[in-house]
Amino acid sequence: MWMVNVRSPHGGRRLALGLFAFFLAALFLFPGQSQGLLEYLDGPVGQLVRLPLEAVSSLDKGISGLWGDYVALQGMAEENRRLRQDIEWLRGQNNQLREAAASTERLAALLQFKEQALPAMVAAQVIGRDASNRYRAVILNKGDSDGIQPDMGVITPSGVVGRVVKTTGATSVVLLVTDPNNAIAGLIQRTRDEGIVEGTPQGRVRMKYIPMLSGVRDGDRVVTSGLVGGFPRGLAIGTITGIDKEEGALFQTAELAPEVDVNHVEEVLVIQSPQPQSVEPEAKPAGGGKSRP
Amino acid sequence: MKLLLYLGLVLLLVPVQTTLLTHVSIWGIKPDLGLVIAAVIGLVAGELEGLLVGLTVGWVLNLYSAGDLWLSLVTTGGAGLFAGLLGRQVAQVTPTILCIGLLALSLAGGLVAAFSMKNATMSDTWWMVQSIVLPQACFDAVLGAGLLWLMERRFAVQRWKTFDRIF
Repeated sequence: MWMVNVRSPHGGRRLALGLFAFFLAALFLFPGQSQGLLEYLDGPVGQLVRLPLEAVSSLDKGISGLWGDYVALQGMAEENRRLRQDIEWLRGQNNQLREAAASTERLAALLQFKEQALPAMVAAQVIGRDASNRYRAVILNKGDSDGIQPDMGVITPSGVVGRVVKTTGATSVVLLVTDPNNAIAGLIQRTRDEGIVEGTPQGRVRMKYIPMLSGVRDGDRVVTSGLVGGFPRGLAIGTITGIDKEEGALFQTAELAPEVDVNHVEEVLVIQSPQPQSVEPEAKPAGGGKSRP
Repeated sequence: MKLLLYLGLVLLLVPVQTTLLTHVSIWGIKPDLGLVIAAVIGLVAGELEGLLVGLTVGWVLNLYSAGDLWLSLVTTGGAGLFAGLLGRQVAQVTPTILCIGLLALSLAGGLVAAFSMKNATMSDTWWMVQSIVLPQACFDAVLGAGLLWLMERRFAVQRWKTFDRIF
């Protein structure tokens, strides 16, 4: 029987080349099966890597916090952080109110108005950035075991951050809104025109497929349309800063300034169910009273 | 012993690559430490160990990246394998030779990723090549050469080749 002596240079080389060829063949001929096989190991490996990853991340945050709080700007950092949180909260509120105001006008004519409920969300911390330079993504400290699945939307109170693309047992990878591989269905709040919001390789955001007849202009706000993907309607994506209207083209393209500074995001919310739980419009009053028609 | 060392290396590589290296990035570009480590291990410990460590590192790092698994496995595993083969074919592998080898490998992987990007125009691809792929390849090459130079100065690389073979 032919055997490879791995200790001899030729044996080791043959085995390595054979293994590599086998691996390549398996990967390209049976991509689904080979990746599925590796996915079985994702969970345990993810749990194992979680410990050093979270330790280094908290150490990193601790050092950054120490520098920011005591060395660089004593006292100012805390106030600044609080004010930023307030601004984020107010932005979120402001956006919700704008969206509510815009929809109220249209819905006032309708008699059957349904109350909007918040979707189910999980809070998570950013513990790292994409391992490569080629993708704009962040790593969260929550994964499969916390109910996070690929394609779920990720937001902050200010607006959209991105979409979950990969999960392990303990972590998940979120492709940011500024990545060219990400596409989110968007809606211009003022004109109600829909389009696709995607990132650019340069890290900017643009909205494509805006109808040529749309009266879109600089300063218009873009929100999620809620039609496709893991986002409910009305979450802020960004503000239009420029419009590209080429002659002979079928659609317009707009440049956006993202609502969330995705390069400095630290805490996020993962939307587990984009469609809010339906609220019973007519709750039966206690005491057997009649419900309204 | 060596197996434990490799395991520790792989586990430590993830937080270093995803958390710490962002602080030492130049113009937003950080080196691919997995590629560099796989190449150096291939060079000093042989092609088989280089390949296996490269494949493991590529797979584990891919769990923390939005990128395609096959590309990560092929580039990192390939780096370990080719560095091992280079180590056997070339009489003396100097940091300069490793630098050139890593530059070529990193460039090849980056170009494949850039050209397989979805929805990208030619100008987007070209921007990616000159702003991400090329600087990263230079970064990887310099880091690899520096690491090998440091190992040659501080550690007995020859001893590592025969130390506690895992095969």
